[in-house]
Amino acid sequence: MEPLLKLSRAIDFINDRFGEVANWLVLLACLISAGNAMSRYAFSLSSNAWLEVQWYMFAGMVMLGAPHTLRLNEHVRVDLLFSSVSERTRIGIDILGIIFFLFPICIILMYFTWPWFVESWHIQEMSSNAGGLIRWPVKLVLPVGFALMALQGVSELIKRIEALIHHHRLQFEYEKPLQ
Amino acid sequence: MIPFVRENMAPLMFGGMVLFMLIGFPAAFSLAATGLFFGFIGIELGLIQPDFLGNLTYQLFGIVSNDLLLAIPFFTLMGAILERCGLAEDLLDSIGQLFGPVRGGLSYAVIFVGAILGAITGTVAASVIAMGVISMTPMLKYGYSTRHTMGVIAASGTITQLIPPSLVLIVLADQLGRSVGDMYAGAIGPSIIQVALFCIWVFILSIFWPKDVPALPEEARTLQGWQLWKRCLWGIVPSLGLIFLVLGTIFMGLATPTEAGALGVVGAIALAASYRTLTWKLLYQGMSTTMRITAMVVYILIGARTFSLIFQGVGGKVWIEDLLIALPGGQIGFLLFVNAFIFVIAFFLDFFEIAFIIIPLLAPVADKLGIDLIWFGVLICANVQTSFMHPPFGFALFYLRGIAPPSIKTSEIYWGAIPWVVLQVILVLIVILWPGSVTYWIDRSTRIDPSKVKIEIEQPELPPPLQLGPLPQSQ
Repeated sequence: MEPLLKLSRAIDFINDRFGEVANWLVLLACLISAGNAMSRYAFSLSSNAWLEVQWYMFAGMVMLGAPHTLRLNEHVRVDLLFSSVSERTRIGIDILGIIFFLFPICIILMYFTWPWFVESWHIQEMSSNAGGLIRWPVKLVLPVGFALMALQGVSELIKRIEALIHHHRLQFEYEKPLQ
Repeated sequence: MIPFVRENMAPLMFGGMVLFMLIGFPAAFSLAATGLFFGFIGIELGLIQPDFLGNLTYQLFGIVSNDLLLAIPFFTLMGAILERCGLAEDLLDSIGQLFGPVRGGLSYAVIFVGAILGAITGTVAASVIAMGVISMTPMLKYGYSTRHTMGVIAASGTITQLIPPSLVLIVLADQLGRSVGDMYAGAIGPSIIQVALFCIWVFILSIFWPKDVPALPEEARTLQGWQLWKRCLWGIVPSLGLIFLVLGTIFMGLATPTEAGALGVVGAIALAASYRTLTWKLLYQGMSTTMRITAMVVYILIGARTFSLIFQGVGGKVWIEDLLIALPGGQIGFLLFVNAFIFVIAFFLDFFEIAFIIIPLLAPVADKLGIDLIWFGVLICANVQTSFMHPPFGFALFYLRGIAPPSIKTSEIYWGAIPWVVLQVILVLIVILWPGSVTYWIDRSTRIDPSKVKIEIEQPELPPPLQLGPLPQSQ
């Protein structure tokens, strides 16, 4: 079990770093958007590149930040039944969910999005807007995000199996997220 | 067996979705899993083509390149900063003193501050927490009944939902394919009715149950005359500034809703700095919560799009349409049914799940019945607002439980919320029976579509060029 737990900690570490990157993207995207709006009126200055970089960052904060959110157990659930079953049942639900829901989805979505990135990379696809950005970075972020999510799934799976065997409680219990 | 499945694929898939969601695994994954599971059955049965699933890539790209969804992190960050910057405390303190001498004065103050905060920010949690912490203690101390205190705080915190620039309205506008500006204009009337209803209720209480809502005693009114007015202005002027920065720029067509959200963040940071509450920790915590909420919400959207792509592929859209158009009573019958349905489903699903899963199924039917989608959206918004208040899962109540002293029983919070849920249902009925309450303001608003203010309008992403094989050699 120990090597597996090490692996789980390593994955958590990696995704926490990506989570920090995602945190920064929130503020950066915000400042760019506000700056862009102001400069458009102050100096009639604006460009498609600045508009596009905002949603590139949006894609980044979502795809790179979601695995960290999973680690903190903050993806919203329908907790009608979930809140009334025992801790061990909840762990069991999570284990099955990770194996039968999370892994297949991440793998299938990676399967669909990866060739898209490769294609975009090969033809060096540019935005169709004048002065727009090159497209492959945002197309890369999708499969990378799903891969990181699958990795986090592995880590969560290890932690839950361990908790089930050793009767531990999980570090992050589920609470309804703030909104 | 197989012909049965083939015939009833859509209802089976809908049932499957409910089942998968009930298991309690994060909804985003349950939804996507339902979609893919039934997608493969559909392919096996020959209902959909195998490469139909390839459309998923376009759906995903459509989500991340959606400029309007960027408003989610911006408005959330703005709310997270305002929540702790001290503005709400200042407002409540001064307005509470202003209304204090009247019976129910503190309740009116809480409602008005809720409305002002609602006009500044777009998220619910922020204002409920801020108001709960500061107004609960004085209200209980000066003899307001516990139930009423809990109810009025929870209800006022959720006003934000309906008053522009509500995040809920932005998301609904996106799902319904209408402009955010019209959606905001449409929500003005119902927002006013809502605040009026709340105030009327406090007034009724102060006449029939004056003991529940006493006036402030003389010794609690520390500020008098000019001093008091100065304090009020000190709280209200920066609020008006922020309201202009966000709502004003949208209504005047100066900025897109997304940009207005970003400007609001800058304004909120400046305000926090002027209150000397701006710390690095506050800002970073705000960024971090915002990132997690955004990621969670957009993942639900990813799951919902996966689900609805396949659901439409197996004929779900037609099934829902046939089901709902057959309802008796035409428009009104449909609206009553849909609102009752959403009222109930809101016990189990949070707003974003409703917006991303349920609304896309209902919108085409509403459109077909000739229902104005702005009216429909505002109606849904007013309705969903109850989901934040109704026991036992309402978010607002959940927060209140978190910050209320342990001596207050959970049952009192629940009982306190019920009159306000009833008021909200009355609002929904008013809006159903009087569409003019929504459309009156749309006709009056500028005809500029704020979501198209951009100088450069972004072109929709074109599909990549087809990979054609080498041209056949000419003879």
